[in-house]
Amino acid sequence: HEPSRSETRTTIASILLLICICPSLHHGSNMISFILMVNKQGQTRLSSYYEWMDMQERVALESEIIRKCLSRSELQCSFLEYRGFKVIYRRYASLFFIVGTKPDFDVRKSSSKLTGKHVVGDQSVENYENELGMLEFIHSLVETMDRWAGSICELDIMYQLEQVHFLLDEMVMNGYVVETNKSNVLRPIDLIDKESKKNEGMFG
Amino acid sequence: MSTQARGLNNFISDLRNAKSKEEESNRVEVELAKIRTKFNPGDAKLAADGSNPSLSSYQRKKYVWKLVYIHVLGYEVDFGHAEVLTLVRSKKQSEKTVGYVALSLLLRGSDPVMGTIVDTMKKDLTTAPNASGKKKKGSIKNDAVQCLALCSLANISGLELIQAMHVEVQHVLVSKTSTEQVKKKSALCLLRLTRTSPNLVSGREFAPHIGQLLQDTHLGVLTSVMSLLNGLASQHSSDYESLIPHVVHILSVLVMKKQCAREYLYYRTPSPWLQIKLLKFLQLYPNAVEGHDIGMGGNEHVNQLINVVSRIIFETDVSDSINKSNADHATLFEAVNLIVAWGTTCPVAMREGAMKLLGKFISVREPNIRYLGLMTMAKLAQIEGSVEGAKTHQATVLVSLKDADISVRRRALDLLFVICDTDNAERIVDELVAHLVVADASIREEMVLKIAILAEKYATDLRWYVDTILKLISISGDNVSDSVWHRVVQIVTNHPQGDLQGYAAATLFVAASPHRCHETTVRVAAYVLGEFGFLIAERPGMSGEEQFHVLHQHWFNVSTKTRAILVSTYAKLANLYEECRPLVAPVFARSKNSSDVEVQQRCVEYSSMREAFSPESVEDLLREMPPFEDKRRSALELRLLEKEGEDSAAVTKASTPSEVEQQRALQSAEMLSNPPIEEEMEPIEEQEDETDMEEPDNLQESQEQAFDVAGEEPPENISEDVVQNGSVDPTVVGIPKELIPAMRKAFSNLCTSPSGVLFENTLLQVGVKHEYVGAQGRISVFFGNLHSSALKNFKVKVDQPDHLRMQMQGTQDLLDDGEYDSVGCTVATKTQAKLLVLVEVTAPFDDAPSMRITFETEEGVQHDYPLRLPLVATCFMEPVNLDPGAFMQRWKSLEGPDRECQEVLKLPAASGIDE
Repeated sequence: HEPSRSETRTTIASILLLICICPSLHHGSNMISFILMVNKQGQTRLSSYYEWMDMQERVALESEIIRKCLSRSELQCSFLEYRGFKVIYRRYASLFFIVGTKPDFDVRKSSSKLTGKHVVGDQSVENYENELGMLEFIHSLVETMDRWAGSICELDIMYQLEQVHFLLDEMVMNGYVVETNKSNVLRPIDLIDKESKKNEGMFG
Repeated sequence: MSTQARGLNNFISDLRNAKSKEEESNRVEVELAKIRTKFNPGDAKLAADGSNPSLSSYQRKKYVWKLVYIHVLGYEVDFGHAEVLTLVRSKKQSEKTVGYVALSLLLRGSDPVMGTIVDTMKKDLTTAPNASGKKKKGSIKNDAVQCLALCSLANISGLELIQAMHVEVQHVLVSKTSTEQVKKKSALCLLRLTRTSPNLVSGREFAPHIGQLLQDTHLGVLTSVMSLLNGLASQHSSDYESLIPHVVHILSVLVMKKQCAREYLYYRTPSPWLQIKLLKFLQLYPNAVEGHDIGMGGNEHVNQLINVVSRIIFETDVSDSINKSNADHATLFEAVNLIVAWGTTCPVAMREGAMKLLGKFISVREPNIRYLGLMTMAKLAQIEGSVEGAKTHQATVLVSLKDADISVRRRALDLLFVICDTDNAERIVDELVAHLVVADASIREEMVLKIAILAEKYATDLRWYVDTILKLISISGDNVSDSVWHRVVQIVTNHPQGDLQGYAAATLFVAASPHRCHETTVRVAAYVLGEFGFLIAERPGMSGEEQFHVLHQHWFNVSTKTRAILVSTYAKLANLYEECRPLVAPVFARSKNSSDVEVQQRCVEYSSMREAFSPESVEDLLREMPPFEDKRRSALELRLLEKEGEDSAAVTKASTPSEVEQQRALQSAEMLSNPPIEEEMEPIEEQEDETDMEEPDNLQESQEQAFDVAGEEPPENISEDVVQNGSVDPTVVGIPKELIPAMRKAFSNLCTSPSGVLFENTLLQVGVKHEYVGAQGRISVFFGNLHSSALKNFKVKVDQPDHLRMQMQGTQDLLDDGEYDSVGCTVATKTQAKLLVLVEVTAPFDDAPSMRITFETEEGVQHDYPLRLPLVATCFMEPVNLDPGAFMQRWKSLEGPDRECQEVLKLPAASGIDE
């Protein structure tokens, strides 16, 4: 059978991907590579990448991962493996939260050096982000957003993108979980809010 | 919530209402064009940094936010950087905030404009909270600016920025006056910086600072610092070993005492994310608990650690709340990972407990837990002595192999691969093969590869291995890569002990017998029968001739690559069995004009081999191949490596030889060092040894070399006929060998030109003139007597093949009509006899009709020249007239590899073009 257009596109992406991953072999890659918030139709409503990726490649990767996530049933597990990423996703009514993580190359390399004689210990440190931990982190993120906007929905994310970005930046920085205390997370946002009210709104 | 800019709101609504991707992208294009003109209106003067000073703060923020929005949607945004930087430089909090967020989303650290922002960022970074503390509000503000700068720096991390600011970041991190918020962010910022330039921080000097930071009671700070520590320690683990007690202490407070600020409890579990990070750090020190079992590790923190891990492993309860349960199991799996990292140094009871627990997990309904259970068990099973425990769950794992979820199936496959060994190989492999029938396409190739490796590694009887691979081919032939069947060939060739080779030959003979079978089967069968067919030739129904027929029935259904292999096999069969020669010869004759270079070359070379070399050399060339060199890593393992990456459990497993394998290798090495028959090798054979043994095709290579040695071009088959036929009766003079090259040339010339000389020697010249219209042709042949006397009994006999309808007319009695007493005509000296042949072609054909000339000279010497009429298929071709457009269209439709080649020729000096 002939490969469909999308397949062709991902083949191209895989080539690009290789180019992109190689530099990170030296720098070590982040634990969280990207966070996506996607609606039921597969449209991205928020994306945050913690690793630079070319736009073309990003679009290809994103659409493939979203397609895979959306096609899975509730009875299937929340993890999938795709092009070296371990993707962890969670669905809330019409919103999908998708987190892509990648093995930490530095950790892996040095640990194999360390345990040279232990062939066994060698592969043990595959060091993916802890899957269940990440799954619950998504939930914690959603709870925090709920506290901020009542019950979070697609429109909140679309029309208050900057706020969601601030919120996310408080919880994840540079690909790592930084804060899970909801009050701590929301405090700076409240501050900005107060500040901008004083100045006749954010865009005053 | 903040009041939104109306323009931005409208823009977002437009995008939301866009019905198609196209509509959306049109809207985006319009907006980008608008923003571009706003930023650079052309008439207004731009500021020195390239920004437009006439924009209001409101506009600038609005447009930058739109750019951010567009970027998030997945469109390239490559302008507006100057405006972003203006916002960052602003003194207003709201502008700065927007500026920094846009900076980290839109720009890369390596961007040249970053140089201009260094000073601003540095200032923001070091603006410590107001020490006097008069205005509480003011201090919070500064803290926010610091955080923004840190956050941006971490996200973009350009080399220039790092060099300019890493000292400040370190300072801010350890400074007592920094707020928690700042410490948190600076820790992660520093981590990012060390990732980009690893030697920024000296471990020995920095470890005490981290130790200090780990005393912090703020869990947010601890979480960030642990991320930093994990990053640093993974690069230089020994530098941070001293921090183990700190980490164990924090862990035990969280796990044993459940002591934690209320806000950090997640469904009553103290920050599971911090626990995970602590456990991950400990995994970097696999020898931490060494000797604990035998009472040597008397350290308090080691005892504490063991207690904590036992607590997690043995006392984690399943909760009703899915969130609580997940959080607890997250820690639990991480603890098992720690046990895996400890490996054999871990107390046995703990390892067994973990295995038991995982056994429970892999049978639950909850797919997440099952997935992780399978994955973690595959890691745990690799510890020495743990595989037995895992093997008891084999049946459960096999169930998961049939799960509806591809993620789970993959993990199950991986685990089966790990627990497979000599004891259970047959069962596991058979199960996998059975599952392959229903497995979906995305996992098949991986399965085939893994089955092939397992079958090879753990086969106690290699016959089973051969059978398994054959099954793989018949079930999923398209997923069986070349390296898989090459490996079969290598193994069969390298194991002369037992009756493996005969068994393989017989099995493949049967497998290739049905008319419909996978092409890969034909390839393996062709190779193996060519090499070891002789072992079964005595069996009923498997004679050489029958072997040929079994293989040849596939000839027309297979690709040229397979045909090339078949050709080599035919050559070997023809060499061994007299009765195969007449079967093989026409195949070679027909394929010598094959459009595939490889097939053509093989045919041509094989068919003229006997003529070019002594019979002994031919024997040597066609003898079975010497054993393959044993590479440390087979091609299969390399493929696996390619697919899974270095770290994969599967790869390590595949590359360490199993006991059975080692034993086998030993046996065959013995066999091979004393081969049953060893003859002296010809020089050609020695060369063959040097050729690459990887590909079964190497027979071909050695052949090429052989021809090089002889310094002769591969002759065409016309000469073969000539030589064979000419030497039937020694008293009759045939065509001398020296003439053959010239004849060949004359024949080819005539194929393309309307007239010419077909044959010439001192006695006779045969000229041909031919023309064709459609399917009909008219060929005049002239026989000129060059001798000084008449040629008597001159007779010409032309074969009348089925595909040609011929009418012949010639000089009286010239034609040999087959009657015994026909005497032929006499051609006087310097005269000609003529023959006119009218032909009509009725069917496709591929060889030229032969013509035999016999005569007797005055001296009574008989001559007999077998020739061929230059009547080939191409003679009937007609040009097609095309206008240039139609020609180009056709020309362009010729696609595909190897259809076009270019060669640059150097004209000989005296080419005569100038004249």
